[in-house]
Amino acid sequence: MTRIKRGYIARKRRTQIRLFTSSFRGAHSRLTRTISQQKIKALVSANRDRDRKKRGFRGLWIHRINAIIGKNKKKQYNRYSNLLYNMYKGQLLLNRKIVAQMGILKGNCLLMIANEIIT
Amino acid sequence: MKMVNAFNMKRAAAGLRRINLDGLRWRVFDAKGQILGRLASQIATVVQGKDKPTYTPNRDDGDMCIVLNAKDVCVTGRKLTDKERTFKDQMAKDPTEVIRKAVLRMLPRNKLRDDRDRKLRIFPSSEHPFGDRPLEPYVMPPRSVREMRPRERRAMVRAQKAEQQQQNTDGTKKGKKREAPEESA
Repeated sequence: MTRIKRGYIARKRRTQIRLFTSSFRGAHSRLTRTISQQKIKALVSANRDRDRKKRGFRGLWIHRINAIIGKNKKKQYNRYSNLLYNMYKGQLLLNRKIVAQMGILKGNCLLMIANEIIT
Repeated sequence: MKMVNAFNMKRAAAGLRRINLDGLRWRVFDAKGQILGRLASQIATVVQGKDKPTYTPNRDDGDMCIVLNAKDVCVTGRKLTDKERTFKDQMAKDPTEVIRKAVLRMLPRNKLRDDRDRKLRIFPSSEHPFGDRPLEPYVMPPRSVREMRPRERRAMVRAQKAEQQQQNTDGTKKGKKREAPEESA
């Protein structure tokens, strides 16, 4: 059989990967083998964290709602848990993101609603 | 002690330039008669900014906390005398360090911890150089005291009754002897 070199097929493939990894730090953007590994790791993290991001933000919203509701010292049970319970009972279908945004921008509005709802 | 306090005052007012945002409130905590750990956890919450609706975990947005009367902070049980490096010695050396360490150790250990430490100003007595700022006192949440354990309660009741006895009787020994066995039964 005649000798066939692979030519630049491998190099073409690897330059694509190198483009992706071009802003990484140190050896992770320079050495061919580590570049392949780092691209895989980066994509895995991105995939996983797209779902984590949703969890993270929900937790942040819950935290913020709790913070602003707890300041209203008139009612006794001023907690996030009570607010949510009473919202479900009263069939108020706001999600946490909106409630948290209300808390930041129109805090008094949220406190008015909370006062009415929380028994 | 007076010299140390004067030095602390200067230092306390000095580091303010490093703190960027001044949309922050100045919260005043009065440590007089408060229990060390419970006070420290409330301070830590405020310094992290966790009671604000705009809390962001990667930004340091906590309020400036001023703690007054640091030397009057209390501790329950027998902790005053029973610890190895006694609480009393530390209070003699530098009363602000007790609260500062307590709060620092309650903050999350991350890059923002040092910045948060800079927002804490602790003073042993009621004087502080920040009189011109708009200060806001912080009301501690009501404290739930746990019930006294039965042995302690009995001892306390006995002590109270002994005091009442001494007030009531006018010195007759027979009267005391009769009353004492009735109580213990």
